[in-house]
Order: sequence, then structure tokens, then C-alpha cells
Amino acid sequence: MSQRKRLSNTQISSQSKRQSGGSVAQEENDDTTFTQPSTSQVQRGMQKLTPAQVDQKTAEVVQYFLVKDQKKIPVRRADLVKHVVKEYRTIYPEIMKRASRTFDQVFGLKMIEIDAKNHMYILINKLEPGDGASPIKSPTNPKMGLLFVILSVIFMKGGVVRENLIWNTLNKLRVDPGEKHEEFGDVKKVVTDEFVRQRYLEYVRIPHTEPVEHEFRWGQRADVEVSKTKILEFMGQLHEQDPQSWSQQYREAHSVSGSTQPGSSR
Amino acid sequence: MKRAKAGGDEEATRQNGSAGRRKGEQQQQQQSDGDGDCDLGPADMQDEDNDPGLRREIRSKYRDLINSVQQNREDMLRPSNNKLTEVLEEANKLFKDVRQAREAALDAQLLVVATDLGKEKASQLFAEGTAFDPTAFAEHLLSFMGLNRLEDGEDEQQNEGAADGYLPQDAWHRVARRAECCIRSAPAFHYMMGSFHAEPPPPKQRTERQRKAPSKEAKRIMPTQLKRMEGSHQEATEKEVERILGYLKGYYQDDPSSPISYYEFVIDPKSFSRTVENIFHTSFLVRDGLARLYMDSAKLPCIAPVEEGEVEAGGSISRKQCIVSISPKTWKELIAAFDITDTMIPLANTD
Repeated sequence: MSQRKRLSNTQISSQSKRQSGGSVAQEENDDTTFTQPSTSQVQRGMQKLTPAQVDQKTAEVVQYFLVKDQKKIPVRRADLVKHVVKEYRTIYPEIMKRASRTFDQVFGLKMIEIDAKNHMYILINKLEPGDGASPIKSPTNPKMGLLFVILSVIFMKGGVVRENLIWNTLNKLRVDPGEKHEEFGDVKKVVTDEFVRQRYLEYVRIPHTEPVEHEFRWGQRADVEVSKTKILEFMGQLHEQDPQSWSQQYREAHSVSGSTQPGSSR
Repeated sequence: MKRAKAGGDEEATRQNGSAGRRKGEQQQQQQSDGDGDCDLGPADMQDEDNDPGLRREIRSKYRDLINSVQQNREDMLRPSNNKLTEVLEEANKLFKDVRQAREAALDAQLLVVATDLGKEKASQLFAEGTAFDPTAFAEHLLSFMGLNRLEDGEDEQQNEGAADGYLPQDAWHRVARRAECCIRSAPAFHYMMGSFHAEPPPPKQRTERQRKAPSKEAKRIMPTQLKRMEGSHQEATEKEVERILGYLKGYYQDDPSSPISYYEFVIDPKSFSRTVENIFHTSFLVRDGLARLYMDSAKLPCIAPVEEGEVEAGGSISRKQCIVSISPKTWKELIAAFDITDTMIPLANTD
């Protein structure tokens, strides 16, 4: 019954520019109040608006993204439509196209949909990080160091590790998830909650384990942002070995599926 | 029957251990019964079976074995470590004395834990190239972070291999900087001069504007009435300034050679507030270049209108600024000093 109601709402909202409002309960990944308008709908929508209006709306979307990106939490399409795009939803694809172009040309950023099913977007840097440290001495975030260590271990271990491996490795680095760390605070929360919400890590429950255990994988953001090749280089430096000596990982880093990876040589 | 099955499985996987001896025993038991619980055999064996002390001991040993596998999992995973084999041999020995279901259940639990570990060790073997050892990684990383390894005798007692030496303050920052080259995250956007919390405002503003639109119609009558009063207030100041200029010129024309004392001009001995108003209005004259203040021979301020020809728009003459302040006390002192009895600027008629 409720499903049928939702569908009719969708039809109404895409034809007249009225907001369907809060009558449908929005679950975390519920996007059914918004359907992607067709090209003809977009064209008709564009005819009813002035260029200035479209530019203004595009600018608002850009600003929304930039502010949301401060915390590195992905932007949900549902939120974007509800809070910013609103009555301009019929020309949503056009707005997104323009916003993407703005990010690309003005800010040097890429707007990427990391989750095609739940429609979530992130911004990543379009530019390749140079070799060696950046000449700009901007303040470093130690959490990135922590994340880097975790991602490296997961990658070198084949892409999935049980959580205990991570906790034990961190223990050896004087980071105890049970205690408050002076740099990171509640380490467990940072790793299992913050990094997961930012989509850097995935923290999934292993079924049939007692007591409950989880495993870590790379998150969707890490897949596009982090360079496996560069991690391997760093490993080589640390262990004073040739990166190619980890042949499986080397192949993984340079494989075709790694072509979305930054820094992969073609 | 249950017993035989369990025994069969265990035998298959515990090939490292001494399976031979056990095989013989099992066959004995299979022949005797399929009960699973107590053994049929000589009477003295019966006592051993039911001795609670022995049962507890066996169960406790099993639990120790399980704990040792779970807690030392990391170490046991390392390719060089053979502890798993020892654990299995130990378990085999214990199993000989298992008689009741509770102990067998613990044995089965140990089996799950051990095989899980065995599976992981096996997968390590299949990995080509160099295996990755997180412990070695951690050690190298500590050096990278600038760990200062102390060689203090006291420290050795406290640590168990983990905490010798101390990490510098910027240890994690070093790692973060090294990580920057590998992670191409978008730089976070922040206003240069700081900002208010940016998220809520855009939706709020829009709703407010929408609500205001319908009510504007109703309110239109009021503003027009008020506006007229505002306008008249401004005109009043201008009129007053012009009036004062008129008086100033008048006095000056009466006697061009005699300087008009500024204090005498502005002060109203009957009203302090009027005095302040006069100072205020006179300042406009000076600002617009219609009057000028100067010091006479006695270093007292005097005011005089600027001649028609001398008035220059925009005032390219060197302008000086000063701030005039007056308090009731000063006002009274001035009245006494200058012996002012009457105001030079009479009150205007109210509109």
C-alpha cells in the first residue's frame, strides 16, 4: 500500500514542479521521491527558466557541495534535491552537469558518484599529487596518517582483514582502541564510525561469529582517492625492498580495474 | 553414533597429531555402544568417568587451549610459528580422556578455532611473492615516525616488546605528510575570514521571504505616513543650519572687524541641550566650508562666515578636523568666564 503511494508521489513531483514534501518517510538510502527526469523534461524545464536562475541554482549546488565536503561526508542526491535544488528538480541533470563543469574548471575538483545505487557524490582532487611532499606546507591532519596505515595493511593483506589484525597492528604503533589517544581521541570511533561514514573504510560484520567480529575493507571513497601504486612504493621504501617483490599486490595495483585509481601508469 | 562421527571428523583434520593411537581406541568404542556418553568397560573406569574433579580439569585445559589460540592468533599466524601444531597435539592428548558431552563440546570449539587459524595460514602459503608481515611493517613504521629507542634497563622490565622508546610529538604528522602523496583528497573549503555555520541558512532564508510577500500589501498604509515625518526631521536640521548661518552673517556684517567668539556664539546660558544643538549645527557650516573657525590673538576660538568668493566646493583648502566636547560643568565655567547672559542664536519657532 505504502509503495503504491510513493510511486504516485514520484509521478506528480516529476510532472508539476511541486515538492512532494515530507509525507514520505525518508530512510537513509530512500530516493524514491525523486526520479531522474528525461531529456525532454529537462528541455521543457530549461525553457521556463532564465539563464540567470539556472546559474544561481548551479552556484547554490556548488556551494552546498563545498561546505559538505569539509567533513568529507558524501552528499546524497536526496538531500541535494530536497534542500537545494527543490523546485528546479526537472532540470536536475543539467544543473549537475554545470556544477561538475564548474568544479572541474574553477576548482580543479572532480565530482564523482561513488554509489550508483544510493546516489552519493564526493569531491576529489583532479590534480595528481606530486612526487615527494607538497611545497605548500599546509597543516597535516594526523588522522590521515592513521587512515593511511589501515588502508595499507588492508591492501597488502589482499583487500579484506579481520578487525583484530588492525587493532593489533595499531597496538604496536602505540594506538590502543580501548584507551583515549592524545592525537585521535576515541580511536575505535574514529576508525569504525568516522572513516566509515566518510566512505574511506567498510566495517562489516562477519556472520556466525561469537563474539561478534567484523572485517575491514577499502571504502568507496578510498577506491577512487587512494593510489595503490603509491602505497606499494611506500612499502618498498619502508622495507627496503622492490615493490615488485609483492607480486600479487603489484598486479592488483596495476590491473585494469585499477585504472580508476589515481597514479596508475598506463 | 554421534561420537563416532565427531571422532571421524577430528581424525581427518588432526593429521599432524598422533592419530594412530586414537584410531585403535575409537574402534573399541564404536563396537561397544553408540550412546555417546558413558563408556562400557571395566568397573574401575566408571569411577574415572564420573570423577567431577577430573572432568573439570579436562574442561579447564580445553578452555586454556582455546584462549591461547585466540589471544596469540597474530603470532601464530606468522609463517615461522609452529605453535598450532603443538596445540593440536595437546588437544589430542586431552581428547583421550574425554567422556562427557560438555568436554566434547569444548573440543569441538577448539577445533573451529584451530581450523580457522589453519585456513588463514594456508592462504598465506598460496600467496606468491613475499608475504606481508604486519609486525615487521609496524616496526619499520615506528622508525619512520622517528621513534627514539631508549636503551634503559628500567624500560625493559615494563614493556613486553611494544613500548621501548618514545614517539616524538609529530610522529603521526610525519605519516600524514607522507600519505598526502598517495591520497588525492579535495582540499577542504573554508572561508578565509571565517564564517558562521554555513549549512542551515539557505533553506531558512527562502521560507522567510516567501512568508513576507503576502503581508506586504496590508502594511502599505503605515509606511507612507511615517515617511513624511522622517523627511521633515531631516529638513528641520537643514533649516536650522541655514538659520544659524543667517545669524552668523548678520552678526558679522554688523561689525566685520570685531571677531565673534565661538563660545559666545554657540552657548545658550539657559539650556545645555540647546548649546549642544548649536555646536552640532555649527559644525555643519564649518564642514561645508560656509564658516570657518580660527584662533584670535588671545588664542581663543572665533567663528566667521566665509566670504562669498572664498567658498570653494569640495574644499581644496587645507582642512583640519577637531572634536568638540562639552560637559555641563565646562558649560557653566564658560558661561562664568565669558559672562554670557543671553544666547546669540534665538530659539526658532517650532514647525
